[in-house]
Amino acid sequence: MKLLRRFRVLPVTLRVPLISAALMILLGLVASQGVLSALGRVQDARLSEAARLHVEGLSVALGPSVLRQDVWEVYDILDRARAGNAGQRLLLTVVADERGLVLAATDPRRAPVGKDATEFEQGAVAPQAVRMTGDPTLRVTAPLQYQGRTIGSIVTELDVTDLLAERRNVTLWLLVGNALATALLAFGGWLAVARILRPVGALVQAMDASGGAPRPIPAAEIPQGDPGLARLIQTYNQMTTAVEERAEAERRLADRERFVSLGRLSSSLAHEVNNPLGGLLNAADTIHTYADRPEVVRQSAELMRRGLGHLRDVTRAILDQNRLDRAGQPLRPEDFEDLRLLFEPEAHSRSQVLDWQVHAGAASLAGQPAAPVRQVALNLLLNAGAAAGVNGRVGLRVTNGGDGLSITVSNTGAAMTEADLARLMASGPLPPGGGVGLRLVHDIVAGLGGRVQHDRIDGQTVIRVDLPVHGGKDA
Amino acid sequence: MLTRRGAILMAAATCAAPTVRAQAAEPFRFALTPVFLDNDAAVISALRAALASAMGREIELVQRRTYQEITGALLDGSVDAAWTCGYPFVQHRAELSLLGVPVWRGAPLYQSYLIAAADDPATSLADLRGGAHAFSDPDSNSGYLVTASDLARMGEAPDRFFSRAIFTYGHRNVVRAVAGGLTRSGSVDGYVWEVLNSVEPGLTARTRIITRSEKLGFPPFVARRTRRNEAGIQACAAALQGFDRTDQGQAVLRLLYLDGITAGEPLLFDGIAARMADLGGG
Repeated sequence: MKLLRRFRVLPVTLRVPLISAALMILLGLVASQGVLSALGRVQDARLSEAARLHVEGLSVALGPSVLRQDVWEVYDILDRARAGNAGQRLLLTVVADERGLVLAATDPRRAPVGKDATEFEQGAVAPQAVRMTGDPTLRVTAPLQYQGRTIGSIVTELDVTDLLAERRNVTLWLLVGNALATALLAFGGWLAVARILRPVGALVQAMDASGGAPRPIPAAEIPQGDPGLARLIQTYNQMTTAVEERAEAERRLADRERFVSLGRLSSSLAHEVNNPLGGLLNAADTIHTYADRPEVVRQSAELMRRGLGHLRDVTRAILDQNRLDRAGQPLRPEDFEDLRLLFEPEAHSRSQVLDWQVHAGAASLAGQPAAPVRQVALNLLLNAGAAAGVNGRVGLRVTNGGDGLSITVSNTGAAMTEADLARLMASGPLPPGGGVGLRLVHDIVAGLGGRVQHDRIDGQTVIRVDLPVHGGKDA
Repeated sequence: MLTRRGAILMAAATCAAPTVRAQAAEPFRFALTPVFLDNDAAVISALRAALASAMGREIELVQRRTYQEITGALLDGSVDAAWTCGYPFVQHRAELSLLGVPVWRGAPLYQSYLIAAADDPATSLADLRGGAHAFSDPDSNSGYLVTASDLARMGEAPDRFFSRAIFTYGHRNVVRAVAGGLTRSGSVDGYVWEVLNSVEPGLTARTRIITRSEKLGFPPFVARRTRRNEAGIQACAAALQGFDRTDQGQAVLRLLYLDGITAGEPLLFDGIAARMADLGGG
């Protein structure tokens, strides 16, 4: 079990070749078993035939001599038969008479004349039943028939060392051959599978690379021969592009917002400075013209002091403004104008149609904090823009609904994925991958006591955020 | 020299010529037993050729398994001459006469050997009691009579002295039986054993000579005494005794490891007759 678990954690590029190698070994074993069993059958048949011919031939030759109990004749026949079989498998042949006593044997020292032949018949089988048992010596026995009656018996010891060696050799060659073939095929299988799975490995590497920032896979590495994998990698590449575009948009928006804020600040600064500037210049001219008239000079100086005081107030106010926590500022219609200013270029870059409707009045807007609401709206807009794709349609609608504010962001294009919906609607742990924008929306809305609704109506994704009235006016 | 396995020879020749059958057109019938040599084809064809050449007529070689069959054939006239053993010659001395006696190692004499396996500790016949024994032929001098008469002198008989006595009908077979372990000991023709020792040293090396008999008359060529003066028989005797003077005859003698064939005397076989007397037989 432990081994199985360890095997399961191996990479697929290793597991598949291992499995194929194991199957090859299994196949090799089955094939080898088949060959060996066929060889065994052939050897048994050969052995059985040889034993049968030997015994039958001897029966014919020995019959009359055995009947006469002619020891020499029997020995002579056996001895000449043995000499004719020199170097072959007949080790010992014993001929016994009717009483079971040895009449003669090819080796009289082992089987002396007159000895009980029973001990030689132990383990002996009929010629047609002889089988290889692994024993290098096999015994065969057959009754000696002559003129229709049994006049004795023949026992022959067969030397099957050569057959055993042949079987051993075949086994060895099979083993070596199969091992080589299996190794070769397993290696080939490993190469093939590794090649087939290379794009998957590349995909995994690309996803894991550079600390979680997915990078696209070059087109050259996309396997054209495998449509499924090619589609998978193309989809992955699109995802990485979308993520990059999103990050780039966020960066650009942040820059732009800084510039917009800076512009507004400078224009209002210019305005506030310009207003008293005319008066101040007038006062300066007056003093210059009527330098000898103390009342006029005093009045002009007073005027200049008020003007400069105003300028001081302006600079102080700007300082104060920049020192303030902007999150505490109430929401204003200008915030949505800012958002539009920020988002419009994004929409235009994708040739998207923007449907912008802010129906809520300043009073109702003021019931909400500016910063979080802007963040919520911006995130939803960016998300919608990305989902709508080229030539899509993105809408923003802000209404004063009952006792709260409703912000509805809609877009054409593909529906939100389950993972994205989970980020937006639920509070559970974040699914791996993807951005954090939608989860931020969820968290901010929850923090403001509001709720998020998702709908898919007529091919459009509609996200509606309802926020209750806060004491924004007082903030 | 031509190769051959069991080489020894045998044979005998008879010349018989019942007047009725002594016609030149008929082949001369010469009987052999395999007691000496094991049907060596080279010996047989050389012998036939040498006899035919010397006698100027066709030779029919007749082979029988036992001396008894040869003797019977000689006596009933179905063969003209034969190469047989001294023992049947002495047994039928009245009916048979010599055509020639082979000369081996300078004399028409040979010995009987008592042999056992090379590793057998026996040193005499008495040590072989209770073992199995191989004889060659009941009518063989060296292959039976010598040992049987020795036992008779000891007051024994083969059937009682040995646990089992078998007849192999061939001196080479006796050597095979002892070498292969079928019997513990055997009685064999010393000439055959020596020739085998030259041509099949692997076989004789597995045996050991325990005792050698006195020298006895070599197995002779014989014919019926009543036909001894027939022309065919005379020609046969002359051919045999002239082997050492013809190429074909010398070839036969070389194959048989013999020096020649002499006329021989019945006295040569007196030793055999003495042993027969000891045995109580003929």
